[in-house]
Amino acid sequence: MNIIVCIKQVPDVDDIKWTKENNLDRTNMLSKINPYDEYALDVAINIKSKFKNVKITVISMGPNQAKEVLNYALAKGADRAILLSDKAFAGSDTLATSKILACAIQKYCSDFNLILTGQLAVDGDTQQVPLSLAQLLKIPEITNVNEFYNADKDMAIVSQKIGLTTNVFEIKTPCIIAVKENCAENYIPKIDDYIRAQNIQIEEYNLDNIDLAKDEVGIIGSPTMVYKAFRPEINKNTKEIKENIAKTILDFILKVDKK
Amino acid sequence: MKKIIVYGELNLKNNEIEDVTFELLTKAQKLTQEALKLNPEEKYYTEAVFSASYLLEDEIKKAYKAGADKVVVIKDSVFDTFYSTVYTNAFLEYFEKNPSDIILFPATPKGRLIAPRITAQLNTGLVADCTEVEFILKNNNVVFAPTRPTFGSELMATIISKKAPYCATIRPSVFKAEFSYKDNGEFIEYIPTSYHEDRIRLVRSILNKDNNTSDFSNAKVVLCAGYGLYDSKNEYFDKLKKLAKITNSKFAATRKVVDYNLVEQKYQIGQTGSTVEAKLYIAFGVSGAIQHIQGMKNSKTIIAINTDENAEIFKYSDYKIIADAKKVIDDLLNYFDIN
Repeated sequence: MNIIVCIKQVPDVDDIKWTKENNLDRTNMLSKINPYDEYALDVAINIKSKFKNVKITVISMGPNQAKEVLNYALAKGADRAILLSDKAFAGSDTLATSKILACAIQKYCSDFNLILTGQLAVDGDTQQVPLSLAQLLKIPEITNVNEFYNADKDMAIVSQKIGLTTNVFEIKTPCIIAVKENCAENYIPKIDDYIRAQNIQIEEYNLDNIDLAKDEVGIIGSPTMVYKAFRPEINKNTKEIKENIAKTILDFILKVDKK
Repeated sequence: MKKIIVYGELNLKNNEIEDVTFELLTKAQKLTQEALKLNPEEKYYTEAVFSASYLLEDEIKKAYKAGADKVVVIKDSVFDTFYSTVYTNAFLEYFEKNPSDIILFPATPKGRLIAPRITAQLNTGLVADCTEVEFILKNNNVVFAPTRPTFGSELMATIISKKAPYCATIRPSVFKAEFSYKDNGEFIEYIPTSYHEDRIRLVRSILNKDNNTSDFSNAKVVLCAGYGLYDSKNEYFDKLKKLAKITNSKFAATRKVVDYNLVEQKYQIGQTGSTVEAKLYIAFGVSGAIQHIQGMKNSKTIIAINTDENAEIFKYSDYKIIADAKKVIDDLLNYFDIN
C-alpha cells in the first residue's frame, strides 16, 4: 500500500511579527511543519505500524529550507521524500500549487492508494488545495476527518466532524483524506531516527522535471494576486467610565431588549 | 450583459434555501449597482443556481426578493445526498453552456468543497473565506476585489484575479439579506447528465447533542470572563455565571481561561470557539488576544474592564473601565442581593 502525505513548512503563527509595510517579518521567524499535516503524517505512520508493505512518501513544495520538514517526516517514519523546488514556483496560489502537486504525483508516485493532507495550513487557511488536487487527479475526497478507523489498499473508513454532526464514511482508494484533528499517536523522533533518516536521499524536482509550462506555475501561473494588504483598522472612539461603574454597567445590561 | 452567479445552498432535510444564499444574492444585487456607478457600461445581472431534486415556488420567490434576476435549478434526484463530485460535475456541465463572469460561493462546509473543485476544473482562481467583496477601479477597469482575513486574522488581504470567471467563497453572516428586490424573475430548469458517486458510502451520521457548543447565535448580552478573573480562590468565574443568569445574559470565556480548565470549552469565544454578534458585550478581565477579538468585535456595544490601561481589548471597546473586574462583579451582584 502506498500512502502520500503532502506537507508544508509554515511560519509559526503564534510568533508573527509585522514590518511597518504590513509584510511578514521573516527575519528570525521560526518555521515548523504545518500542525495539521503532522496529524496526517501520524495517521500514515499508524497505518504503517499495523500493516505490512506500507510505503509512505512525503511530498512538499517549497524552498530548499523545506528539507527540514521532509527530514523530520523521514525521521518520524516516512520511507521516501520529494521536494518540489524551483524559483519559478515561488508565489504560487492554490491553483498553481495544486497543479504542481498533481503533476509531480502523476509523474513520480502515480501508484498511490491514499493521499493524506492536513485540513488546512495555519499560514493561509484557504483549505482549497486538497480539493483542487482531488479534482485534478479525478479522485474523491473526505475532509474534516477526526478519526481513522481503518485503511488498506482498497478502502479507508474514517469519521468526519462538521459542526455537531459526525459522519462515518467508507471511501474507495485512490482518494484524498484531509485530517482535521489529532487521530493517531504523535511519534516524536529520537536521535537514532534522524541518523536512520540520513540514509534516505530527498528527491528534488524542479520545473523541468514536471510536465508543466513556465506560465502555469508561480506568480505568472497564479490567477489570484494580492492587490493590497492591511491591518484591520480600529477607529473606536473609546470613552472611559470612571464613576458609578457598577450602576452604569447595570443600566447598559437592563437597557438591552433581550427578546 | 455580464452575469454574477450565486451558488445556492439548500438544507437537504427540507430543500429550503439556506440564509447565506439570500445574503449573497442581496450582496450580488448591490454589486451590480456598484459596477454601474463605476462605469455605466458595466451591466451585470444576478443568477441563483441550485442543484436540487425539487425547489418549492415559495423558496424561489424568496430568491427573487433577496436579489436574483434569474433562478436556475439543476434538477436531479441524485442531489438529495451531498457528494462534492456529483455537485461539481453537474454545475460544470451547466456552466460550460451558461458561463458567467463572477461566481460567489458560500464559505460553508459544502461550498468550500465544491468551489475549489469547480475552479480547478475551470483553471481559474478562487479567493477563500472572504469577509468583503467589492468592485474597484484599476487602470480604468472595473475589477472584482474580494477581501479575506489571513495569518490568524492579523492581516486583511484584498485579492484580485487575472482570469475570469472571478470566484470567491464568502462567509455566512457577514452580509445582511434584504427581501425587497422583486417578486418574480426568469426561471429555468436544467436537466444534467446523471452522475453517481459510487466510491463513497455514508455508513452512519450522528448528531451530537451533548451540547459541546453553547449557542451564541441569538445572544443579546454576553458577559465574557478573561484570565484576569482568576485568583487563588477561583470563585469569580462562577460569580460571573451567576450574574449572567440573573440578568438573562450569556456567559462566555476566552481561550486562555478554557485552556487552563477554569471554564468548559463550550463557552469559548474566538477564532477557535464561537463567534458572537451581541447587542452588548462586556469583557471582564479580558486582555484582548487577536483570536478573541475576531470572535466578538462585531458586537454592537463593547465594554471592557481591565486593570491594565494598555490592554489591547480597550482599542476595540466603546467604553473602557480601568478597574479590577472582580470588584466590579461583586458590586454588580450586590445590587441583586439587596433586592
